Amino acid sequence: MLKVKKARYHGIKLPELSIGLDYSDADVQHIFVSHAHADHIPRNRKFLRGHTSLAIYATPATAALMRLRGFKEDIVELPFFETLTTDLFTMTLYPAGHILGSAMAFIESGVGNILYTGDCKTPASPATEGFELPKVRQVDQLIIEATFGMPIYRWKSNEELQSDLVSFARKALDECYTPIFLGYNLGKAQEMMHMLRELPETKQIHGAGYPLCAVYEEYGIDLGAYERYNRTSSEGCLLFTPNSSLESGFASHIKKKKIAYCSGWASHEARRTQTQAHSLIPLSDHLDYFELINLCEYLQPKRIYITHTPDSKVVLHDLQQRGHDAVYLGMMYEELE
Amino acid sequence: MQKKQEAADNFELWARLVQDIAETRGSNAKVELCANYFALLAPSEVSLACQFMGEGAFSNISGKRASVGARTIGVAAADYCGIDYDIVFKACRTASGSSTETIQRLFENLPEARQKNTLQHWNLARISELAEELAQTCGRKDKQRILTRIWGGLSPLATKYFLRLLSQGSLRIGFESRSVLQALARSSQVDYEQLRYAHMLTGSLAKTAVLACTNRLDQAQFKLFNPIAFMLAAPLHSKSVDHWQDFIAEEKFDGMRCQLHAHGPKVELFSRDLNAITNQFPELVELFGGKKFPPTVIDGEICIFRDQTIQPFQELQKRMGVKKPSKELMSKYPVVFIGYDLLYLDQKETVSQSLTQRRINLQKLAKIFQFPISKQHSIDSKDQVDQLFEQALAHGNEGLMLKEKNAPYSFGERKNHWLKVKRPSGSIDTVILYAQAGSGKRGGSYSDFTLGVSVKEDPRYEEEFIPIGKAYGGYTDQEWKDLNKAIKGCIIDRFGPTAQLRPEIVVELEFEAIQPNSRTKAKYTLRFPRFKAIRWDLSPKDVDSLEHVELLFKEHQSKERSPQKSSRSFLYPK
Repeated sequence: MLKVKKARYHGIKLPELSIGLDYSDADVQHIFVSHAHADHIPRNRKFLRGHTSLAIYATPATAALMRLRGFKEDIVELPFFETLTTDLFTMTLYPAGHILGSAMAFIESGVGNILYTGDCKTPASPATEGFELPKVRQVDQLIIEATFGMPIYRWKSNEELQSDLVSFARKALDECYTPIFLGYNLGKAQEMMHMLRELPETKQIHGAGYPLCAVYEEYGIDLGAYERYNRTSSEGCLLFTPNSSLESGFASHIKKKKIAYCSGWASHEARRTQTQAHSLIPLSDHLDYFELINLCEYLQPKRIYITHTPDSKVVLHDLQQRGHDAVYLGMMYEELE
Repeated sequence: MQKKQEAADNFELWARLVQDIAETRGSNAKVELCANYFALLAPSEVSLACQFMGEGAFSNISGKRASVGARTIGVAAADYCGIDYDIVFKACRTASGSSTETIQRLFENLPEARQKNTLQHWNLARISELAEELAQTCGRKDKQRILTRIWGGLSPLATKYFLRLLSQGSLRIGFESRSVLQALARSSQVDYEQLRYAHMLTGSLAKTAVLACTNRLDQAQFKLFNPIAFMLAAPLHSKSVDHWQDFIAEEKFDGMRCQLHAHGPKVELFSRDLNAITNQFPELVELFGGKKFPPTVIDGEICIFRDQTIQPFQELQKRMGVKKPSKELMSKYPVVFIGYDLLYLDQKETVSQSLTQRRINLQKLAKIFQFPISKQHSIDSKDQVDQLFEQALAHGNEGLMLKEKNAPYSFGERKNHWLKVKRPSGSIDTVILYAQAGSGKRGGSYSDFTLGVSVKEDPRYEEEFIPIGKAYGGYTDQEWKDLNKAIKGCIIDRFGPTAQLRPEIVVELEFEAIQPNSRTKAKYTLRFPRFKAIRWDLSPKDVDSLEHVELLFKEHQSKERSPQKSSRSFLYPK
């Protein structure tokens, strides 16, 4: 089996293959970026600069989103299902269903194969390229995230969530309130816009999220009619913004508004008062606990590595009871979704 | 089946209403939802519905408790859905910040729990019986058996609220007994103030509801020797006073609040939380009993008074909680009761009278029976308030009370009719040593903090920092978010919900007083510690030492307090 190392705050490293997974240090030759969320993009740019022998790989959609978010280094674009071949390994990317462009890396080498999921979701988020596993007989090593790795988390189906979003928006608008959807600027916002595309009202999205929408459209995701958030014309629109912006004056001029907090964390009642939201819609782009366990059971890997989890003991306990060899790759989980 | 489900007194319906109230913003909208629900019920059903909402499974006056501990419930719940209590249940509880919410989710999500469930459509009365059964049963195993049976008949949502009922605490839906009464006033079309008064007198939401629904509120009568809820003071803000002339000022005594009931030789004393504390102060009973009062209720303060000087609260603590104190203790810590309000006299309640009117009667009474009352000052400017404030501090008191002359005695309420002006006793720079995941409103993130002072150069300790206190508040929502971000980078170790941190984050901690406490490592504890500011500008080097805390304590203890001579905080009217 391949060695798998957690490199403190720099992501995961496969030292024998000189690969970094969502990695931020220049002591490897290959860095794979699973998706364009900030906590997965290489941060240590100073280290990266001038390392000509270092290649950064991402799907074309992820690369486009990274560039729009200010990433200036060269990115080797590797489309889904195309195989990169090097002396030591081959790497193929598969859709991870988390956000547009999000990919799982399947790496095969002389000492076995490894599947790194990055952040993933199955059934896939509707605003992604789907979720697809490599067609192999045996995944040897699986590195999987468990952000919601506790049985208190079980998501509703995408259809139910869509209907929750639509009825929240419809009810607010019918009562002359402006509906505001709180969610992350990249991924969550576009997913919600896509789910709400059939509502005739214009969608306005926070300035930081706006330019990212074009990439979604380029890849065939219908977001309906939308524009950049504009204070003077925002009343009566569907508004999409991260929750931090409410404190800095977003939509502060609109008296009649209804706020929905849309995140996996919305399954906690405490978020109601913490976010000042009228409605909590647990819409997550991560696996819930049951999906996570099912995926592991389906793949039956020889060894499972758990990352990004609030309390690793919970998932490990369950997997071990089911006869899996499961370990924790220590990493602080973050609430960012 | 369908019909049964629709019965208005179905507990499932009650639980859904409670959830709707939780999900509704704005107290008026919440009250309306609740009032509409009450309107569907018969009087006896309203009575239980009210009690469940505002008090718990049992009436507050019954003194009953379900007596099921959190662990008993947690272990049974884990067992019920086939998970490990220590590894899985506790971790889930930490993540969600609420044990009952965790149980709801687990019961919803885990097939093993779902299979055991058959909705029984119990009504409110049946739920009350089941709670009674729990209370009557002894032993953890037997209680767990009953719980399991109840869970089998309730939806996960109803289970959550049933468990919250058992703790006789808040349902945590932003709807306290005040709101319940407002809803009741609306649904039974009675006057809210009258309802509130009846509630105070009966001490029970259930009884109040029955009286309200049957139009018999006037039957609720005040009885001497049953305490009246205290009127409370709000902190003075720049906007809370329009005209200083509308208020009078009194010193805010460094003592404990006390309500004195007297009739002839009989005297009862009640503390701030309405508990009888009569047997702790026999000298007051003897003094006031000897004066043979007509039926009287006086609101006032107990202080230690020696050498013509009001002594620090810390000295009064030597007397608090000591039943039947020895002669020696009484002579070492002599107490005085200072009256400042009159609530009942000669078969007449006086709470609805204006403060001015009550004061006239109190003065008359004090003159006849010779007991001390607070000194009142008329005021007309901020300068004057500041001057009186300094004088109050010089007397060793906590600060000033401003009371509106025309206001009635609003029992049990904290409104702007009474305002307190206080200066905190001090602040020290401390460092965060531990962070604990909060529960309830701040569930799922760190909200409780253990703060330490430096003992680096202290030969008595080997550590660098030792805990001095724990603070739960005083920070803004933004500061709280920033703190949570910063904490993630300093975690050294975790013990369940508690994270041990590298000492890095410096907090200016504000407190009311320093108290010696031999059971703690520092030998001192702080009274009401809370965040004043997060000092991102300071490093752990700047944290105050334990010696500094000791010094502050000694300074406070030895501070000169001016005796009650030329200027006075209270007097005996002549």
